[in-house]
Amino acid sequence: MAPQKKAAAIWLLLFLQSTATVFSERTRDKMYEPILGASCFRRLNGTHQTGCSSTYSGSVGVLHLVNVDADLEFLLNSPPSPPYAPLIRPHLFTRANLLRLKEAGPKIISVVLLINRTDKMKQFSHELNCPNQYSGLKLNRSMSETATCDASGNVANTWNRWGTGLLHEDFPFPIYYIGEDKDIFKLEDCFEKFNNFNYESHALRSLCAVEVKAFMSAAVNSEVCIRRTNFINNLGGSRYCDPMEGRNVYATLYPRNASENVEVNVAGSEKFIIVSCRLDTTSMFDGLGMGAMGSLVGLAILTQVAHMLRLLLPSPGALSDRQRNVLFVVFDGESYDYIGSQRFVYDMEHLAFPSPSTHTAPISLENIEFILDIGALDDVANIKLHTLTSTPLANQLLQQLNRYAKSPRYNFTVNIESNVGYHIPPTSAQSFLRYDPKLPVLILNSVPSNRYYHSIYDDLENVEFTYANASKDYTTLADIGDTANIFNSSALQMGVRNVSSIVAMTLYEILSGKQYQGSLVANPLLADEFFYCFLQSSDCPLFKAASSPNSPAGPQQPPMRYISVQGGSQESSGWTYRMLGYLLSHPQPAVSKENCTQLPLFFFAGLNGTGECRLTTQNYTHALSPAFLIDNYDWRSGDYSTWTESTWSLLSARIFLRPSNVHEITTLSIGIVVFIISFCLIYIISSRWEVLFEDVPASNAA
Amino acid sequence: MDISKAPNPRKLQLCRTYFMTGFALLPFVWAINVCWFCEEAFRKPPYPEQAQIKRYVIYSAIGTLVWTIALISWIIIFQTNRAAWGATADYMSFIIPLGSA
Repeated sequence: MAPQKKAAAIWLLLFLQSTATVFSERTRDKMYEPILGASCFRRLNGTHQTGCSSTYSGSVGVLHLVNVDADLEFLLNSPPSPPYAPLIRPHLFTRANLLRLKEAGPKIISVVLLINRTDKMKQFSHELNCPNQYSGLKLNRSMSETATCDASGNVANTWNRWGTGLLHEDFPFPIYYIGEDKDIFKLEDCFEKFNNFNYESHALRSLCAVEVKAFMSAAVNSEVCIRRTNFINNLGGSRYCDPMEGRNVYATLYPRNASENVEVNVAGSEKFIIVSCRLDTTSMFDGLGMGAMGSLVGLAILTQVAHMLRLLLPSPGALSDRQRNVLFVVFDGESYDYIGSQRFVYDMEHLAFPSPSTHTAPISLENIEFILDIGALDDVANIKLHTLTSTPLANQLLQQLNRYAKSPRYNFTVNIESNVGYHIPPTSAQSFLRYDPKLPVLILNSVPSNRYYHSIYDDLENVEFTYANASKDYTTLADIGDTANIFNSSALQMGVRNVSSIVAMTLYEILSGKQYQGSLVANPLLADEFFYCFLQSSDCPLFKAASSPNSPAGPQQPPMRYISVQGGSQESSGWTYRMLGYLLSHPQPAVSKENCTQLPLFFFAGLNGTGECRLTTQNYTHALSPAFLIDNYDWRSGDYSTWTESTWSLLSARIFLRPSNVHEITTLSIGIVVFIISFCLIYIISSRWEVLFEDVPASNAA
Repeated sequence: MDISKAPNPRKLQLCRTYFMTGFALLPFVWAINVCWFCEEAFRKPPYPEQAQIKRYVIYSAIGTLVWTIALISWIIIFQTNRAAWGATADYMSFIIPLGSA
């Protein structure tokens, strides 16, 4: 062959090859359409695994829109071309339906898609009827369930009567939540165009299907996956699961004295009133769930109480007893068997709180005067003060709370009643009571009315929050009538103001020994800024004021408040730390910016962003369950939280046209036939090579 | 190495070495011995060393068979009971499957 021809042939080959690669990419892009959403994932405790996982290479199911129960019946009883992926609306995402899908098995139902069409939704909570059922206060050690909630009795008396408990079920298929309209339209459109007609021929034609990849590495329970992760033979170093861990945030009303030999000195005569609430929330889907009503209202009230007390009692000189102090604690991981508060009690028991690095004397449980725990305040106008037994302290506190709540001067319209006995809400206080039922613990909680507890829909609409954006000073106290033109009396900000003011005034009376006579109350503008930051955007005035002047603005999304694992974002504890630090700190005008670098001094941006040096009292403690610290811990003992989160490599979903079985078999058979023919052809060509290359001498070819 | 070109005493020595090596828990060496010397032992016209080679080949074959049976039954027992044995089975494994018991 002439050299030119050879060169031309090579060029042609190269050209064909290059176009072929370009085409192959295009084909892939044409085949698949990505769907954005959030996936359910696997969590494990000492005895079980919960949540979902896809198969290793991704689960594939044919889309089927479920509008009414009958559509589900059709899928379960006579699926023409299984496996299917039902598109379910929230009002059909019930326990009964999901358990039926689970029972059908991954051969019939391989994926479940939850679409954000909430028009018929009345409730949506996947927490248990009795949250933290196995880690609360018990009557005696032999009991496995808490005495504070009866899951087998009347559901209406439980702490989460709308709960389906699906958060604690194990599903053999992935569940994917699709929130954006754009993606829901894509799915519905694809279903209408390819699937929703002529169901008899489903098995014979191409159908629109979804592929969800959410494969989970861990299995069985925390004991097994932790053992496998720590395993000496685990040469690849692969992690199967990680313990859930985060950070509790605490701050004191007044700075504590630094002490040199902290190992021996217990904080002798110091007396602490602990005001606590929880930081975290959870939901079934990764990265979603704001816990607005479930836990954020409590945090807002704690923040405002701290801020108001700081302004009313600027120095310990105003106290009747100078040894007194208030310790504000925000517990992380409370959704998962009280991780944060269990660890806090464990640390106190072992004189490890605060950590030695703070150079302050350890605080023991004897140093606690009483604990006031702010639980879930679903209805901020009707609150109950829960105690285990009727004590003089509880009676006195109730009387004081009600004096301010019912005072015509402030017109708070809050009703506070006492509730004595074992019917105690699932809040952090249970960890203290479980350690010692005689501890002076008081809990503020309202009758549960949150229909979206621990779900993706416990958001700003659930608490009916609208940002007033008044752009006024929120760091001062307000006069009673000051903000009447900004908020109407039923607004969330006003409700939080009322409860915070009542609690702060009561604590003021206890600390100073005098009744509160002032006309100033907590500022609803602070609540407004607080909720804006935590429900709408971290790029907000309050968070900006509580950061250093030149720190980058927070993201446009609200901080994620799920506890997560080590190396997780931990952004909510970070923001809470800075915010509490800022609101409880004392300005130090005499200290220049250069000298304001070492904690407890911190240089905040401040209200107008110019920067100011302040003396802070806030800090973190580690919220990791003691179960992961104790050697040879018995995972089945139920003493401490054992929750872990499985690792995964990818969470994704995409839709494509799945060919019918006949089509797939035909393609494969043709492939095999071509493969065999090509072998025969090559054999024939190589055995008859002289025909093609007759001018090559025979001796060279050998 | 082309065994057919080696002198007969060398063949015998090789076969014996392979047979002995197999005792160091190396059943594959026995299996190789069987394949390699099968023709020498049974097909070739008789020569003085052949009887001994034949013996080594037969013993190697028996050894291979015993090992195969033992390994297959262990693998079946282990794979069917791995999940049930829990921690013990994990400590015996180098590769633990992801996402299952």
